[in-house]
Amino acid sequence: MSGVSPLEEEVAKLIVQTLNLKIDPVQIQPEQLLFGKGLGLDSIDALELSLAISQSYGYHIRSDDPEITATLASLRSLCTSIQKNRTK
Amino acid sequence: MNTAALLGPYQPESAFAWIGGSPITCHRFLSEVATLADQLPENATVINLVEDRFRFFVGFAAALVRGQTTLLPPGRAPKVLAQITNDHANSYCLIDGQGKVEGLPSFHILSTYRNSKEHQFVVPQIPTKQIAVVAFTSGSTGTPRPNPKTWGSLVAVAQHTGARLGLSPTDNVTVVATVPHQHMFGLEASLLLPTQFGLPFHTGRPLYPEDIRSALGSAPPRRILVTTPLHIKACVTEKTQFPKIDFILSATAPLPIALAQQAETLFDTKVFEVYGFVEAGSVATRRTVAGDSWQLLDGISFAKHSDHYSLRADYLREPVPFPDHISLQGPRTFFLQSRHADLVNIAGHRGSLGDLNRKLNEIEGVQDGVFLFPGQDERSITRLTAFVVAPGKSADQILSDLRTVINPVFLPRPLYLVPILPRNETGKLTRESLLELARQLQCEDHRGL
Repeated sequence: MSGVSPLEEEVAKLIVQTLNLKIDPVQIQPEQLLFGKGLGLDSIDALELSLAISQSYGYHIRSDDPEITATLASLRSLCTSIQKNRTK
Repeated sequence: MNTAALLGPYQPESAFAWIGGSPITCHRFLSEVATLADQLPENATVINLVEDRFRFFVGFAAALVRGQTTLLPPGRAPKVLAQITNDHANSYCLIDGQGKVEGLPSFHILSTYRNSKEHQFVVPQIPTKQIAVVAFTSGSTGTPRPNPKTWGSLVAVAQHTGARLGLSPTDNVTVVATVPHQHMFGLEASLLLPTQFGLPFHTGRPLYPEDIRSALGSAPPRRILVTTPLHIKACVTEKTQFPKIDFILSATAPLPIALAQQAETLFDTKVFEVYGFVEAGSVATRRTVAGDSWQLLDGISFAKHSDHYSLRADYLREPVPFPDHISLQGPRTFFLQSRHADLVNIAGHRGSLGDLNRKLNEIEGVQDGVFLFPGQDERSITRLTAFVVAPGKSADQILSDLRTVINPVFLPRPLYLVPILPRNETGKLTRESLLELARQLQCEDHRGL
């Protein structure tokens, strides 16, 4: 996985584990869309994923964050937000 | 002609809805309704796809005032919508964003919203026999079917539910809801329940625990939370500090007693469940931690038939058969046994999918799971299929746990471990979606061989 940060690698694993996706974490491209047409996740996945992220990094995802759509767009954008907001 | 008021007892300047921390007055709401009602198209029926809860209700009320019927499709799947529009060709679609229904004209609610002028404060009276809504069954017990609801029945259900929960116009509690307003429970509990009692509702539709915390925090000090077991589970897992709420009202799926107990502790409140089905609306409530028995709402009574019970009420045109097997505990209290359509017969053994699902979900490590009876196969005895969400457990482990709690004839073959069940936006699993999932997984199995 060239050009992928250690955090991206870690969060890709978290996504696959949490949502029990039948794919290898390295298959998640950093810029690939997570929801809708990309990885095909939906709002219930979002709820599950938000719990895993808050438990692992202490970052509480919320819908009224103006950046929320951008944050959840891809693995890379998600990791940028985690990096900025993590408390653990 | 008998009529019932569109709204309960509000003063013109009463808070009718809260957008974030800002109130919208009842007078403003009624002005919006009057303005929109003047401009709606002439069609007989409307599919209201408005996403914003307040504007949805403006559209719903304006349609009522115009004598139009709001159709509530069970979902947004194009095939389902096509079937409904085929049966209701004289329809239009009310929207506030990009949504549309193929083949129907769209009317954008914002086209009048910003130009609405102040009308006199008059609460419209709606004929009780007017068909306010046609709700379609979600399909978990068969093909989607239309269920017409009169305005009188919607008002009666809201009033009986609120009375049971102790709502009073003077309490000034605000309803905050995580459930969408475009299905029966959401419409009843997030909109009709507060508005028939002269109480405000919060316009948000919080998803994440942090959203729920923030929506509750932005509402005035007394609130109730209308939600589902999924959201309750998320909040309990997060253990965030939540503002004080008067009570939680949960529906759409059975709430495990342990989860209700955790929620009562976390929120320092009471958790009630409402039981209902599309054909009759909400019919009973219980405080989950108090036990398994449900109390019928006032105004409804049982009628006993040779092999089942039905429900009677003044506002129901005819007795409605109870969809679940029940056992009566008293004249107005009952236990749920299982849903009629859930009965299966495998090699002469009768079982209930509801019961099997409960046993499956009680297994440690199983987060979500469901049995599917795929239908009779001529070549062999049809076995059940199960789809299970259980990270960290193997299919063998789950089977061996299941073996201890169910008759082995009901053990699933195959048992698929899946990341998530194909629940629709109200959390329900339809037979169609499970059959489709089974087909996909079978194809994958074959490719893997």
